[in-house]
Amino acid sequence: MASGTALVPSSAARLEIYGRGGEASARCYQCATCSSVCELATEDHTFPRRQMLWTQWGLRDRLAGDPGIWLCHQCNDCTVRCPRDARPGDIMQVARGMAIEELAFPRFVGHLVGRARTTWVLLLGIPFLFWTLLVYLHNGLTPAAGGDWAYAEIVPHWMIYSVYFPTFFVLAGVPALVGASRAWKKWGEGRKRAGSFVTNLIAVLTEIVVHRRFGKCGVGKGRKWGHFFIFWGFILAAVTSGFLVVWLYAYDLELPLFSYRCPGAAGPTCHLPLDNWMKIMGNIGAVSLVLGGVLILINRLSPGQPAGKSMAFDNLLLAVVLLVIATGVGAEVGRLVLNPGVAMWIYIVHLSSVLCLFLSVPYSKFAHMVYRTLALVHERMVTAAKS
Amino acid sequence: MDKIGLFVCTGCEIGKAIDVDALEEAGRDKGAKQFVKHACLCNPEGVALIQKAIDGGEVDAVAIAACSNRAKVAEFSFDRTKTPVERIALREQVVWTHPGGEEDTQMLAADLVRMGVAKVGRMTLPKKLDDTLDDTVLVVGGGLAGLTAANAAAGMGHPVVLVEKGEQLGGYMAGLKDVLPETPPYDRLHSNTVAALVKEVEASKQIKVLTRGTIKSITGQPGMFEVSLEANGVAQSFKAGAIVQATGSRPYDATKLGHLGYGKSPNVLTAQELDAQLGAGALKRPSDGKLPGRVLFVQCAGSRDANHLPYCSSECCATTLRQVAAIHRDHPEIECAVVYKDMRAPGQLEHFYLAVQSKPNSLFARGTIDEVQVKGDGLCARVKDSILGDELQLDADLVVLAVGMCPNSADGEAIRQVRDAKARIAKNESEEQVRQGKETVDKLGHHEGTEILNLVYRQGPDLPVLRYAFPDSHYICFPYETRRTGVYAAGTVRAPMDAAQATEDGFGAAMKAVQCISAAKRSEAVHPRAGDIGVAEFFLQRCTQCKRCTEECPFGTLNEDVKGTPEYNPWRCRRCGICLGSCPERIISFPDYSVDAIATAIKAMEVPDETEEKPRILAFLCENDALPALDEAAARGMKWNPWIRVIPVRCLGAINTVWIADSLSSGVDGVLMLGCKSGDDYQCHYIRGSELCKTRMTNVRETLSRLTLEPERVQIHEIGRNEFARIPEIFDAFAETITSVGPNPYKGF
Amino acid sequence: MSQPLMIVGAGIAGVTSAAEAAEAGREVILVEKDPSVGGRVLRSHHYFPKMCPPSCGMEINTRRLENNPRVTVKVRTTVKRAEPVGKGWRVTLERQPDYVNQNCTACGECSKVCPAKVPDPFNLKLSEVPAIRLPHGEAWPRRFVLDRTACPAGCTKCVEVCTYKAIDLDAKPTEETVEVSAVVLATGWRPYAKEKLVELGGGLYPDVIANVELERLTAPAGPTGGKILRPSNGQAPKKVAFVQCAGSRDRNHLPYCSAVCCLASLKQATYVKNQIPDAEVTIYYIDRRTPGRNEDVLTKTTALEGVRLVKGKVGKVTRRDDGTLALRVEDVDRGQLLEATADLVVLATGMVPNLADGALFGVERDPDGFGLDDLSRGLFVAGVARRPEDVAASVRDATGAAAKAIVAAGRSA
Repeated sequence: MASGTALVPSSAARLEIYGRGGEASARCYQCATCSSVCELATEDHTFPRRQMLWTQWGLRDRLAGDPGIWLCHQCNDCTVRCPRDARPGDIMQVARGMAIEELAFPRFVGHLVGRARTTWVLLLGIPFLFWTLLVYLHNGLTPAAGGDWAYAEIVPHWMIYSVYFPTFFVLAGVPALVGASRAWKKWGEGRKRAGSFVTNLIAVLTEIVVHRRFGKCGVGKGRKWGHFFIFWGFILAAVTSGFLVVWLYAYDLELPLFSYRCPGAAGPTCHLPLDNWMKIMGNIGAVSLVLGGVLILINRLSPGQPAGKSMAFDNLLLAVVLLVIATGVGAEVGRLVLNPGVAMWIYIVHLSSVLCLFLSVPYSKFAHMVYRTLALVHERMVTAAKS
Repeated sequence: MDKIGLFVCTGCEIGKAIDVDALEEAGRDKGAKQFVKHACLCNPEGVALIQKAIDGGEVDAVAIAACSNRAKVAEFSFDRTKTPVERIALREQVVWTHPGGEEDTQMLAADLVRMGVAKVGRMTLPKKLDDTLDDTVLVVGGGLAGLTAANAAAGMGHPVVLVEKGEQLGGYMAGLKDVLPETPPYDRLHSNTVAALVKEVEASKQIKVLTRGTIKSITGQPGMFEVSLEANGVAQSFKAGAIVQATGSRPYDATKLGHLGYGKSPNVLTAQELDAQLGAGALKRPSDGKLPGRVLFVQCAGSRDANHLPYCSSECCATTLRQVAAIHRDHPEIECAVVYKDMRAPGQLEHFYLAVQSKPNSLFARGTIDEVQVKGDGLCARVKDSILGDELQLDADLVVLAVGMCPNSADGEAIRQVRDAKARIAKNESEEQVRQGKETVDKLGHHEGTEILNLVYRQGPDLPVLRYAFPDSHYICFPYETRRTGVYAAGTVRAPMDAAQATEDGFGAAMKAVQCISAAKRSEAVHPRAGDIGVAEFFLQRCTQCKRCTEECPFGTLNEDVKGTPEYNPWRCRRCGICLGSCPERIISFPDYSVDAIATAIKAMEVPDETEEKPRILAFLCENDALPALDEAAARGMKWNPWIRVIPVRCLGAINTVWIADSLSSGVDGVLMLGCKSGDDYQCHYIRGSELCKTRMTNVRETLSRLTLEPERVQIHEIGRNEFARIPEIFDAFAETITSVGPNPYKGF
Repeated sequence: MSQPLMIVGAGIAGVTSAAEAAEAGREVILVEKDPSVGGRVLRSHHYFPKMCPPSCGMEINTRRLENNPRVTVKVRTTVKRAEPVGKGWRVTLERQPDYVNQNCTACGECSKVCPAKVPDPFNLKLSEVPAIRLPHGEAWPRRFVLDRTACPAGCTKCVEVCTYKAIDLDAKPTEETVEVSAVVLATGWRPYAKEKLVELGGGLYPDVIANVELERLTAPAGPTGGKILRPSNGQAPKKVAFVQCAGSRDRNHLPYCSAVCCLASLKQATYVKNQIPDAEVTIYYIDRRTPGRNEDVLTKTTALEGVRLVKGKVGKVTRRDDGTLALRVEDVDRGQLLEATADLVVLATGMVPNLADGALFGVERDPDGFGLDDLSRGLFVAGVARRPEDVAASVRDATGAAAKAIVAAGRSA
């Protein structure tokens, strides 16, 4: 009898993965065309051929615990070239969903988001009710008088930031960190890493900002730019909001940066004119978000696109992102052209979708920000350890 | 023949390169009564010239000195039953391959003419045999191949007797509910139609079905076999013209696969045992009669395995696919795991493989299983060398072993050896003979009792088998040929195959059987000398009962009477001439190919004495491959040594050693033999010709050294039809050898 | 006596059907579009498993046709029209012009003076031949053929040199109509075009060749006189890679398995080793499909030193600066992604049935273009026109098809 422990295949796990959208992988006959056409697979992390096999054998842990699934950028070169239409790209997508769910802290939230197909109402509804309630308590949901008004008249900035900062840094940040450390530990099992985390992280980040790997994709090129613009859109949006805070609470300080002052003593209720550089930065962000969103939508919807089959899990993320973009822009434009009542509600939806986005970061596909970055670092360090 | 006409063509450079008129003397010298030359003998005028001479009775044998006997065949196809014809290849063997106008070239041409004329002078006319021949096709085995063959033969207008040893027809297929798809879209099971075929056969007026039948004996030859058998307890006998053996195969003995759990647990089945369950619509775990949760299929169980069956049975993968599909149709919830070395679904089966694998509960994995363990009433297997990189532990409720197939053949030659050995022991002539006899009996005794056809042939009661006990000839171009004329194997007894192939085989074997009868009726030979109307003649008064001919005939043509005198069966004969080559008394002849004719040709060549320093080399070329290769070399303008005189032979096995002796004693300096490859991958179309020639020549070389002649003077080379470039190489190299060993000391004696 | 049978296509399958039926006493018309019989098999150097030359068996088969008075062979002839008549067929045949007629003695004088050179179709256009020539060394019928389109305007050199009045440059196509009782389609196959495999370098790099081309490179009568050389530089390769399933078992190309490529590559591996003993040969495969006793070919070849079989389909072939080729492939058994190198890459391309171009006689075809028997119309399909298979199987089926045709003819008589 052979020695050593042997893997035990699980039919249940296999069927679960099929159920999550990986059923085509039953067709895989392990020719490995997928791995060999994948530009991102490396000698140490070959995919997606193994992942197909793990799926067939229902080796759930192997699949979800594999850093390789994060190195995949979903180009779908594999799916296009697969001689049997076994759609390896889909399996990588499903695997990431399962990984996020498993690494999530607390787990039940992970499952909640993981089952977005049924739970999306809650995920969007709760933040909406929350904000509606908050605004109601603040001013009874009465729109601004009109004229040259500002959203701050309805929802003061202090309220926004006192909600978002804790959600972002605590409710999202902590689980993200926990998930990250879980992943880091799991990937480390039986794998030697070498080099400093920080230097590798920096190297990885510089790679990310230019989307170097994304560029290698064959058929999925369109997705690169969509992702690129959204990525930068969010960064700009975040930076703008960051600066705004600083400015608002120090608006009367004479800082070289902030040459602008509110007319008269209007104080915090005043808003920035369009030519303000901060406004401009924010708007560039908004535009690039819109651009990215549109690109991704086109890429998704256009027939003949090899994009992996969409699944509720990542559709949720996409929906929320698009909602944030739409309502954000809508609110800005709305303030100028729409009646204040409508604009107010757009704004409230905007605020709640942002909240939903923040909250779901560690549990939704958004978590790939964390895990992919981490996986890239892991890969560098493993390779370093080998040489 | 005493009115030989010599017709020389001067076309194709012949006239320019040699002095054609000078050939007249050479021809007349060997008995040519007429000499005609023509600028283009193959054109209608030239042909008419010859035809006129024949019709006018001016000539009774024709020597055509023009191009190779492989060129202008249609033009020079005169009625061989009335006039022997010999072609002399002046174009290929002289003018295309040697410089024109030179003495050596002229001598070569003259020699070839002398030899050709002399040879045709010794040819005789073939006698048409007028036996009354029977049309019946005997089909042995009532499985898919046998049924198809019977139906096809009947469809071609022949009466058929179908003998089945079992109770009813249909064979293994009869037990199957589903069969593999043979028509698009190839993605689902088809229902089994063998029952309909059985009905059709049983209903046919032309087919007589005999069940529970065993053959007691078959005597005679194609067109006139005498079959006596016992069917359903009743003895009967009848005539048959040809035989199809479709005795099928049996699964490999699974009891030898204990390591895979067979015999250890009732829940380990062979694919055939599973088929029985599926056929009865009763899939279950034998131990408790419950439906299995997971079924594990172990591919290549005892196949592709040096310790069991080294070969692949080629249908086990397909069978497993069929079984998985059937299970999933009735019980989609059952998981079917298939562990294979290589999944073999050739051709359109690939579509079916994909369809079966696409089901969520089918699992196909490459790997090997060394052992299946019994765990309570469950089973457990470890999958090694899986492409996971790790070992895999696979529990299963039911394990199915895809075992290979072994042909239901009988090793006729082995049985014959055993019988001879026993006879020798009984005779008890010498210690040594008895000891050898006992050895043989120990080694091969188990073959006795496996007889199927019970042919009353000197060389044994059944088809000779080749590798892995399959009784075909392992030809690629002629897959149905066996070594018993008029007996054709079909279906899984011939080679491992699936149902679709077995059906084709049935049709094909029927075709060959019908064809064999038809050829016999035209008194023609079958493959490979199809259409040859000359049969061998035995001058038995001089026979010494040495039995070489009966032993060496590759096709079991000859029987022996009690004294050991050969009994010739012309319809078994393939006209290869190996018997002629084997006979030390030179008593076997064909009308256009005899010891005498060739010997005369050899004597007809002029051997200059050693002072002239013109050695002479005789080259026997097999007409199947070596001679065509020479023609191609010639057509490509290759040149070679002019001392060489080529004599075409039917096969290296058809070279009688007396020809070597004659030539050497008449001063020829060396003898070359070019023929087909022998050994396992033999290319000899008479299977053993080249091989026999080699063994004979070792004896010849011994004789040479006794005569103080250098053994290098006699050489054999194997050459392929496509190796034309080697012809000049071999010729010139041999010429050099001869130069270096010096002239034949027997010159001038 | 019923009407003759018609066999369309004189490759190994068609020749077999014709010879088998004729030797059973049937009249047979064998129709071939090329100027000589033998089809694809004669373009192979050796057959597996016995590694013997196809011309050996074809020698016997052509003799069978030649000596049999019941066989009529019509070369350079195609089926123009076919309509069912009663239970048989009325077929209109079109024969290309007899620029060279039956007077030809194959003496070769015309080739010597012919000024025009054309790519040699027999050598898969890997070499050139005179416009007027013997189709190939083993050609039967043994008559020269002229590629009239290549003639320089007004050139009559061949006509002048031919003393047998065998050449007529003004010959016209001819037509004839025959009635036959049953038909066997043995129209054979063509290799899947390597140019469709750009990702594998097919058509991009000269050193990426198709398996059928390697057969010609090994044949003594081939463009290199039987030497295996890299097309790019005429050097003998040191590292040869075989890419299995090049366009087979692939929904993007041919969805079926061509059933012979594994054995063909194993056979060709022995070609390489016999000529270049120190060459490294690697065969990249999905499954090693060597059914039946052909398993021996796998066993023998894998036992050769310097021959390696790797499970993994090659995904990409690129050319390095030094001219060698790089193959990207995963060694599945080791789970390793490789960047393998080779200086000759052989694509084991599959077989495409010629019937895929159009249904002769309106024969029913499967989605891949393989023909299906039609007993009711006395229409049968044999060889690779029917299913992907090797020579022995083609001969087996072709013999069977002859029987089917005779049965059908009997019913129609």
